[in-house]
Amino acid sequence: MAIAILLITGIAGAGVYVMKLRADNATLKANQQKLETAITEQNKVLEQQKKDFTAILESNKKLNTLINTFKKDLEDLDKRFTKKNRDIGKLAIERTKAIERIINGGGKNAARCIELASGAEHTEAELKATLKSEINPECPSLANPNYVPFQ
Amino acid sequence: MYHFNKILAIAFFIFLTGCSIGGEKKIKIFSVEEPRQKLNYPMPTPLQMEEIYWHIITSENAEEVFRKLEEAGIDPVLFGITDKDYQVLARNFAQIRQKLQETNNLLEEYKKYYEGTEENKQ
Repeated sequence: MAIAILLITGIAGAGVYVMKLRADNATLKANQQKLETAITEQNKVLEQQKKDFTAILESNKKLNTLINTFKKDLEDLDKRFTKKNRDIGKLAIERTKAIERIINGGGKNAARCIELASGAEHTEAELKATLKSEINPECPSLANPNYVPFQ
Repeated sequence: MYHFNKILAIAFFIFLTGCSIGGEKKIKIFSVEEPRQKLNYPMPTPLQMEEIYWHIITSENAEEVFRKLEEAGIDPVLFGITDKDYQVLARNFAQIRQKLQETNNLLEEYKKYYEGTEENKQ
């Protein structure tokens, strides 16, 4: 009788132990799945971070280039007034009509630059301009993206 | 009779526990991330500048300029700036234009970064 009880208890214990092992196994499997998912997600996050970083660098580069262009445009503007000790006032006295024409042309170009800076579409002529005579000298980098100034 | 009772007892047991065979269905809770709605403002309407005419007046041509204005039915009055101030005005306008361009550019870059381009959306 005692042997039978011992045997039954042993079998029951073994059964409970196997069930515990199964439960542990299920938990470990679930954990493993979670870990794998977490790793995949982490990899995705890292990849996105890389992409974001590249995009930020690119954007910074673009804006820096733009700001350098601004500096150059302002320098060019100053040069146009002062090149070779040019005095626009004296020139206007000597060649009034010609300077009036130039000033009005410049005004039109400058107004067009403001339109473009506010988001206006380029005209075909502006896009095609590659020669110095065809460009808008007030803002060539903005108005004529295909114009490469001679260095 | 004894066997019948046994079978009855087993059948009764199965009847009571039958529904639990296969276990309870587990409720699965999904968390789906709903992306924030895009602002989608249209870009500001481009400016359309009106044309102005610059008159250059010197001591030599002043009378002629005013006469021409009168002939054209325009009030013979001009708001003047010196050649130096004209340079300053040109510079100021260039700076305003550059600021406008910079702001528009920043706006585009922000839009591109946070909302993505058409290629990134797919």
